[in-house]
Amino acid sequence: MERLQRIILNIIFCIQVLLIFLLFFEDKIQLPAWLQVAGRMHPLVLHIPIGMMIFLVALILLEKWLDQAVAPLIINFGLILTSLSASVTALFGFFLSLQGDYGAEALTRHKVSGVLLSFLCYFVVLLYQRKKRQYIFFGAGLICFATLVVAGHTGAVLTHGENFVMAPMTHDEKPVLTVETASVYHFAVEPILEKKCFSCHNESKAKGGLIMTTVEKFKAGGKDGTAFTEGHPEASRMIKAFYLPLSDDKHMPPDGKPQLTSLEITTLKAWIKAGADFDKKLAEYKTSDSLTFITTAFASSATPNQENQVQYTFPGLSDDKVAKLNTPFRSVFPLYQNSPALQADFFVKKAFEVKAVEELKAAANQLVVVNLSRMPVTDKEIPLLATFKNLEQLNLNFTAITGSTLGELKALKNLKLLSLSGTAIKAKDLAPVLDAPALHTVYLWNTAVTDAEIEVFQKEHPKVTFIKDSFHDNTILRLSKPSVENEGVVKRNDKVILKHTMPGVTIRYTRDGTAPDSVNSTAFKEPFLATETFVIKARACKDTWHCSEVYESTVFVEGIHPVKMELFNEPDPQYPGEGVTSLMDHRKGVSDVLKEPSWLAYRDKPFAAGFWFDKEFPKSMVFSYARNLGAFSFPPTDIEVWAGKDEKDAKLIQRIKIEQPKGYDPNKVAALTIPLSPQPYAFYKIIAHPVAKLPAWHDSKGEKGWVFFDEVFFY
Amino acid sequence: MENEFLKQRFHVTRRHFLGKMSLGLGSVALGSLLIPDLFKSGADEGAMLTGLPHFAPKAKRIIYLFQNGAPSQLESFDYKPLLNKMAGQDLPASIRMGQRLTGMTSGQASFPLVGSHFSFKQYGQSGAWVSEIFPNMAKIVDDVCFIKTMHTEAINHDPALTFMQSGAQQGNRPSMGAWLSYGLGSENKNLPAFCVLLSRGRGNGQGVYSKLWSNGFLDSIHQGVQFSSSEERVLYLKDPQGRDRNGTRKMLDNLAELNAMNFQEFGDPETQTRIQQYEMAYRMQTAVPELSDLTQEPDHIIKMYGADCLVPGTYASNCLLARKLSESGVRFVQLYHQGWDQHGNMVGEMPLQAEDVDRSTAALVMDLKQRGLLDETLVIWGGEFGRTNYCQGKLSKENYGRDHHPRAYTIWMAGGGVKPGLVYGETDEFGYNIVRDPVHVNDFHATVLHLMGLNHEQLTYKHLGRRYRLTDVAGKVVSGILA
Repeated sequence: MERLQRIILNIIFCIQVLLIFLLFFEDKIQLPAWLQVAGRMHPLVLHIPIGMMIFLVALILLEKWLDQAVAPLIINFGLILTSLSASVTALFGFFLSLQGDYGAEALTRHKVSGVLLSFLCYFVVLLYQRKKRQYIFFGAGLICFATLVVAGHTGAVLTHGENFVMAPMTHDEKPVLTVETASVYHFAVEPILEKKCFSCHNESKAKGGLIMTTVEKFKAGGKDGTAFTEGHPEASRMIKAFYLPLSDDKHMPPDGKPQLTSLEITTLKAWIKAGADFDKKLAEYKTSDSLTFITTAFASSATPNQENQVQYTFPGLSDDKVAKLNTPFRSVFPLYQNSPALQADFFVKKAFEVKAVEELKAAANQLVVVNLSRMPVTDKEIPLLATFKNLEQLNLNFTAITGSTLGELKALKNLKLLSLSGTAIKAKDLAPVLDAPALHTVYLWNTAVTDAEIEVFQKEHPKVTFIKDSFHDNTILRLSKPSVENEGVVKRNDKVILKHTMPGVTIRYTRDGTAPDSVNSTAFKEPFLATETFVIKARACKDTWHCSEVYESTVFVEGIHPVKMELFNEPDPQYPGEGVTSLMDHRKGVSDVLKEPSWLAYRDKPFAAGFWFDKEFPKSMVFSYARNLGAFSFPPTDIEVWAGKDEKDAKLIQRIKIEQPKGYDPNKVAALTIPLSPQPYAFYKIIAHPVAKLPAWHDSKGEKGWVFFDEVFFY
Repeated sequence: MENEFLKQRFHVTRRHFLGKMSLGLGSVALGSLLIPDLFKSGADEGAMLTGLPHFAPKAKRIIYLFQNGAPSQLESFDYKPLLNKMAGQDLPASIRMGQRLTGMTSGQASFPLVGSHFSFKQYGQSGAWVSEIFPNMAKIVDDVCFIKTMHTEAINHDPALTFMQSGAQQGNRPSMGAWLSYGLGSENKNLPAFCVLLSRGRGNGQGVYSKLWSNGFLDSIHQGVQFSSSEERVLYLKDPQGRDRNGTRKMLDNLAELNAMNFQEFGDPETQTRIQQYEMAYRMQTAVPELSDLTQEPDHIIKMYGADCLVPGTYASNCLLARKLSESGVRFVQLYHQGWDQHGNMVGEMPLQAEDVDRSTAALVMDLKQRGLLDETLVIWGGEFGRTNYCQGKLSKENYGRDHHPRAYTIWMAGGGVKPGLVYGETDEFGYNIVRDPVHVNDFHATVLHLMGLNHEQLTYKHLGRRYRLTDVAGKVVSGILA
């Protein structure tokens, strides 16, 4: 065992010496292939000393509690193994570094720290062997561990680049390039190189000696020469490398790495062809240049998300804090996902409290949009709003402000939009705000600020747009029609009310079927009583408006209820309604919607029904029928009235011809009044005949017509 | 001895096992710290505001003035004088190229071209052509972006309408408004994010169905809320007779408790939705009357929109209400105006339809503008497809009709990040085919989502094993119309 230990210690010592030698003669060395393989094992081997050392640190710290006979042996053995692996790692690292392509500075740092680590490990082993001077042993161990951290870190920088570990935590705040301001190289070319080339051709890892991350070094090229030849893509080394077979060692990017797309190659070729200029902007190229086409395509296909996106650099609030600011009447939310900028909206006037605005102080730096439209905000709250230093849009439409404190808002450096429509502000109060440096648009519609005053402002602040009034129109418009409030069936002596949706109109009406005029007809002042079914015609008038067209409606008034009703002919099966009850249920139909249970319809057979009375006997009756001539729904042609003590006794007492339409007229539900007998008859049979042939003017002349009834009334 | 030692090592007692397991559980717990909201219940109050745009949006809200029935582009904004010159001549086969027809005209022996009965003029700085029956819209052309090259896949009303609204013809997908509610949430927690207003003109009409504002497979909270055409704009919102608001509050609290119990037992997320919706309805009791009271509008606003704006259920009143809803943070206000299906009687019906919408539409755009809201509100006007350049039925000197035409039609957008004063795309001289810059319905959807700050490829919902989008598997943002 001791023999083995001695041999290993000797090997370690040899390696230290070899390392010193190599450090001095590195330039002269030619590496045989098998050693190159050994070199490439460096990234594998390097993990052994790291693991071992951590294990040893734990072991030494816990030594007290371990078996005192075994622990020193394990520690000793571990130290030797650590030292051996550290030395081998350093050696292999050397071999790897000789295979080139690493940035000089970072490599030197790694090399020195690696070798130093190898030495220190050996030194620590020796110290432990002597079993003396505990504190020196511990001190050296500590230094050794620190060196391990340095060597490990510098090595990681070589493979993964700077700031690999912390990158997800630190925000990369690159300015967003636009096709107008950036050069074509930075806008279209560099992003391709960044994606596909930079990982191997950068300051710390310069494969083939080529560094592409800075313009000067990219121009200078690598150890085989320049990467591109201005104006000649076909002669450029990098373009050629793209086209080599994938298996070729010189093919770029190497097999296994993400390859360039044909669009990307085309872009690079076009850029080299156009002179490989690093500063020219798109506008400076000829429009016929293929580079222009490609770059323009880039500009529009670049995810539109980033286009013109305002970048906010201030820190955001935590989600919790934002959530706390939300109430049913105040919404506070980021402008978009992961944006620090917030918008605050207020809703429901009745629920507004001044406190709700004050609470926004918690987000004073984040609020970019504040919408207080229609809230009873007063001048007192303005100074508070003026402390929201990143505010860009402020909506104060229809608030209770008078403007006396409005000047405070000029402190807002980013204020762009200010909406003051419908407020009581005055021009003199507005003037100071206009000095806000970023102000872009001010909405002044429906305020006391006059056009002349705006003109003065406009001269002083040519950059600001003032929006005051946008809809000039002096044409006189027609009012909408009035209407009867209680349409349908009303009870006898119910009040009839005419109404109109616009305040301040005069409604004039007639009840005799004539058209009302706007001067002489009765003006509706108070409700009147309904006694019998009547037709009302009305129109509304108001100053500065044209009178409305004539409104016409039939008010059906409830009458005597028969004690019994019966249909002698069944209605057409298509429109059965609810049988005879449909006639007295006071449910009115609509003349456009006939397929509906309020309607009973007859076509092949006439309507025929019997009505029995007791105590109260009617003198007249009203049919409510659908007049929808296009749908063949006509008034009946004639009506037979049979009367008697009962069904058997009934005799035909009259037959009434009904006036037929002379042409199409508007659809409506109309009343048909039929006089009955002045005698008190206990039974009436009514027969109504539908049109046998539609008249000559009708589109379907000659066909059978229909009658549709929804109600009958007896008076 | 050594053997026993090993045995002892391998022998796992129950205590030992449990002890180890607790360690394991501890690490699981530690790991779970990395999963946010792991132990939060599915949906809570705040969930309604979770949606955020993917990037800075140009538009925050949409008002979609849907002209249901397909208004003729040839009588409104797509001026084709050649059709007047060639009136009565047959549509050349080289133009039609055998493209399909509807069942209504496929039997027709000839396809006589017919030009607009109404005269056209150019307006504004943009020089957009507008027909004489839209005198007020002609005044706002410089705020508007006309897209003359919309085209769709459907040729009949229902599938076309459904396609325009949901990106699919079948009617089982969420509507645009539902997608936006899902993607962006509600700005105002006192109102639904998606409201629907209906009106009917005097022309030949086509129905609208509630499936058009359906939430499809999305949570039912995203469904469009239809406002009534009666004076009470949201039905059943008032407390019933004999119960005051405190009573309602108590009732809701108790009901919520019962629902919560139900949720614990069955875990149906719809139960949570229901609780939230009751709460919102309670808050709507205050918010809606404040909004729907149009009588408080000043006289000059009423003049702007026309007298009809005070009559509930008219297009004009819906425009005014749409402005008020939008002003209050409603994400998507969808209007449907019916009556644009002029298969015959174009001369009689088109001016009536135009009269109903012209003034109030222009007023809405102007009104938003003067309040500073047009910049953040996207207004869309248009139908589900266009109408043919040839006459359907009998062509007489006085009258004509036009059939459905999905190949090219005109819509317009205003505000919300759209280039104002632009006429985008071009149809051929016959107004039949697209010559330049076609815009498919999927592209339209992609663009609208883009304006709202959403990437249409990222706004997805997993259902029946695959992810769905409003744009399905197509759609490209029309960058040419972006401001």
